[in-house]
Amino acid sequence: MLTVVKNIKNQLKVSFLTVKYALIREMINKTTFLTNITFMILNDASFILQWIVLYALKDNVGGYTFNQVLLLWGIAAGTYGFSHFFFESAFNLSDTINNGKLDAFLVQPKNVLISTITMSISASAIGDLAYAYIMLFVFGFTIKNFLLFTLFCFTGSLIIVSIAIILGSLSFWFNKSDVIADTGNSLLTNFATYPDGIFKGITKILFYTILPLGYVAYMPVQILSSFNIKLFILVISITIMFITLAVITFYRGLRRYSSSNLMIART
Amino acid sequence: MRKYLYIFKSEVMTNMQYIFNLLVGFISYFILIFIFLNLWKYIYSDSNELINGYNMNQMIWYVIITEILWMSLGGRKLCRKICEDVRGGNIAYNINKPYSYIGYILSSHLGSVVVKGSIFTILGMLLGLIFLGKFPHLTLFSIIIVLITSLLATIINTLFVIFIGLFSFIIEDANPFWWLYSKVILVFGTLFPIEYFPGIIKTILSYSPIYAVSYGPAKLFVDFSIPNMVNVIIVQIIYLIIIYVLCLLIYRKGVRKLNVNGG
Amino acid sequence: MNEKAIIVKNLSKTFRVKEKEKGFKGSIKSIFKTKYREIKAVNDLSFDVDKGEILAFIGPNGAGKSTTIKMLTGILFPDQGTVEVMGIDPKKKRKKLAYEIGTVFGQKEQLWTHLTPYDNFKFFGAIYDIDDYTVEKRIKELKDMFELDEFINTPVRNLSLGQRIRCEIVASLIHKPKILFLDEPTIGLDPVVKENIRTLIKRMNKEYHTTVFLTSHDVGDIEKLCKRIIIVNHGQIVLDDSMENLKYHYLNKKIVEAKMKEKVNLNDEDGITILKDKGYNLKIEVDTTKRSVGDAIKLLNPNNIIDINISNIPLEDIISDIYKRDK
Repeated sequence: MLTVVKNIKNQLKVSFLTVKYALIREMINKTTFLTNITFMILNDASFILQWIVLYALKDNVGGYTFNQVLLLWGIAAGTYGFSHFFFESAFNLSDTINNGKLDAFLVQPKNVLISTITMSISASAIGDLAYAYIMLFVFGFTIKNFLLFTLFCFTGSLIIVSIAIILGSLSFWFNKSDVIADTGNSLLTNFATYPDGIFKGITKILFYTILPLGYVAYMPVQILSSFNIKLFILVISITIMFITLAVITFYRGLRRYSSSNLMIART
Repeated sequence: MRKYLYIFKSEVMTNMQYIFNLLVGFISYFILIFIFLNLWKYIYSDSNELINGYNMNQMIWYVIITEILWMSLGGRKLCRKICEDVRGGNIAYNINKPYSYIGYILSSHLGSVVVKGSIFTILGMLLGLIFLGKFPHLTLFSIIIVLITSLLATIINTLFVIFIGLFSFIIEDANPFWWLYSKVILVFGTLFPIEYFPGIIKTILSYSPIYAVSYGPAKLFVDFSIPNMVNVIIVQIIYLIIIYVLCLLIYRKGVRKLNVNGG
Repeated sequence: MNEKAIIVKNLSKTFRVKEKEKGFKGSIKSIFKTKYREIKAVNDLSFDVDKGEILAFIGPNGAGKSTTIKMLTGILFPDQGTVEVMGIDPKKKRKKLAYEIGTVFGQKEQLWTHLTPYDNFKFFGAIYDIDDYTVEKRIKELKDMFELDEFINTPVRNLSLGQRIRCEIVASLIHKPKILFLDEPTIGLDPVVKENIRTLIKRMNKEYHTTVFLTSHDVGDIEKLCKRIIIVNHGQIVLDDSMENLKYHYLNKKIVEAKMKEKVNLNDEDGITILKDKGYNLKIEVDTTKRSVGDAIKLLNPNNIIDINISNIPLEDIISDIYKRDK
């Protein structure tokens, strides 16, 4: 038991250093760093215009009030922000596998998956995070809201990172799957900013199965609007389930890792 | 002129090889249209209703057209390329070549847009038919006009990107300007027709490049009329001339600066 | 004392390689139907390495060297056979193994380039769970041994290639590994730096008794560092012998290069092979078991010789001879 605690402590220390050093790397060029952040905030904010136009036509879109749409945006931005700040390289997993860049982590006595997905950060994700919390303030700031909001941004990011890991791990089996992974990842973000009430039938089922945005964005908005312990537990368990699935897929694939020895023979 | 045609043709050939990637890229387009279909279906709960002069079908076809125009443009990549050409000094090699840099970039870029645009147009039309069941009212004449104005819109849009890219002669990194341009087009030009915006904004938009590069062709597709056609074409020609002259000016200014610095 | 650091038995690994036809048509075809070909990268390999030994593991490109080294370090899963490195099966106890080994892959950097070597070493210390006090001590020790004083506080991206590779080696030694795997450590370096790296590796081997498993295309590395050599080709061992034996086999062959006053007409005969004949410049190989070198010189007529050079066959030629023989 003691060694487990020690192992976790050591792993956290390495992960913390990795994030710190990756952040330092992003900050080498200060202007680019700050521009990236600022432009990301503006980028997220520009979409408010779209909703102003829509809410001028109707005061309820898909069962959401204007404030709730802002909160939806906030959670989407926060989810995106957390996942790309801490786990940016999970979204490039295909590339890491195809170019044999796992080698370095495989010879280290630390968790390969964690090392792989934390090796870089994205500066613009800080802009997303800033925007997310601005939206929380607009929606209504209370300690409870703050804690729930942060928790949901984190569980959401763990879910989309898990999906990114599963999609990226496909590269262990198929070598052209990077395009699929890219598309799959952008697909999730596309949907996340629209109220689920506008979708019907099969699409809605998708949101609670293979495109699990329901647990990333829609349920959190519901819970933040009026707390529901059942939904809360559901979100947490689904998150754990996705993480488990991702870990299994990655380690299954790792047995097939070929360390970029896959040459393409021309005949 | 023949050399530009040749550049255009060889770029078309190159791009034909990446059809698989284009098809995968179409998925994002599909998703976007799908979301808008749902959104407008929700807003137009009564499908005979008109909002700001458009019915539901027209609204969705409008987005289908503007997104084809926008997504096949590939502006970010082009802007990056020009910025790199300017900063990396690649442009200096082009000065003493027997073609103009602007002509070269324009014709080669159009080569790639045409391939992507054709595929997106075919698939986009199919998608619209599957989702909505029918086209808006079209005639052979209006189709031809839409194609011509779309081509003009793409040329103007490409020249805008070139102009922004060439800005890196003056400031270090022109990419933020590209970003700003793309946001304005996306928010004001693709999602809603300009009639959706209130008073003053609407007036500004009808004189802005958005009218020429995005709204014009899409409006003619969903609601064709001769006065509109004349309007769109005149505005497009005016913008074509303005932006081409601007490109030339900034290019000449930039090259002079290059010569002073010794390339 | 003669314990084994590495034991490999009947190791095999097969890769499935995609076959692609040329051109546009080929690309379209490959989307629908992909042909695969199996390549046995490593085929029934068995060998072992003593503790404290410096071993050269060499072979032509694509011979299976990297694949083997990657299976030994736990990067790749073997298809068949068993591996034991310091008594650990890399397949089962990857993390445990990691504490025992150090790796330097010449073409893959493991350092953060925007940080200083010192920060990098501290980072590696954390990876191997070494406390601050021990790490500091260890860094100081290695800094002196590898002469890093001048640049230990300069960001890695500003270092020369030779300085970088020294830092790479130090980073892989932070946790006092029992075995060091070096894959092409001197690639791209100039002769002086190469020599320097070799000396440092030798010194390290002597002081810490670290077993060194070396692959290299550079014959100098092999000649200067290794007592034993394993040559692989097509995934199989074609030679496993001590350096001395290897040379001894070939020692009875001498190369005679001579510059002549007048043209001589010489033909291949028993014990003499003509390697190059440009009239005035001659290069012959003499098999001393069949003919003495003196004999050969007599054949050339000593009065006719302006200059002469008698030498052993270079190791490089011996090795490439072995590569070719195997085909």
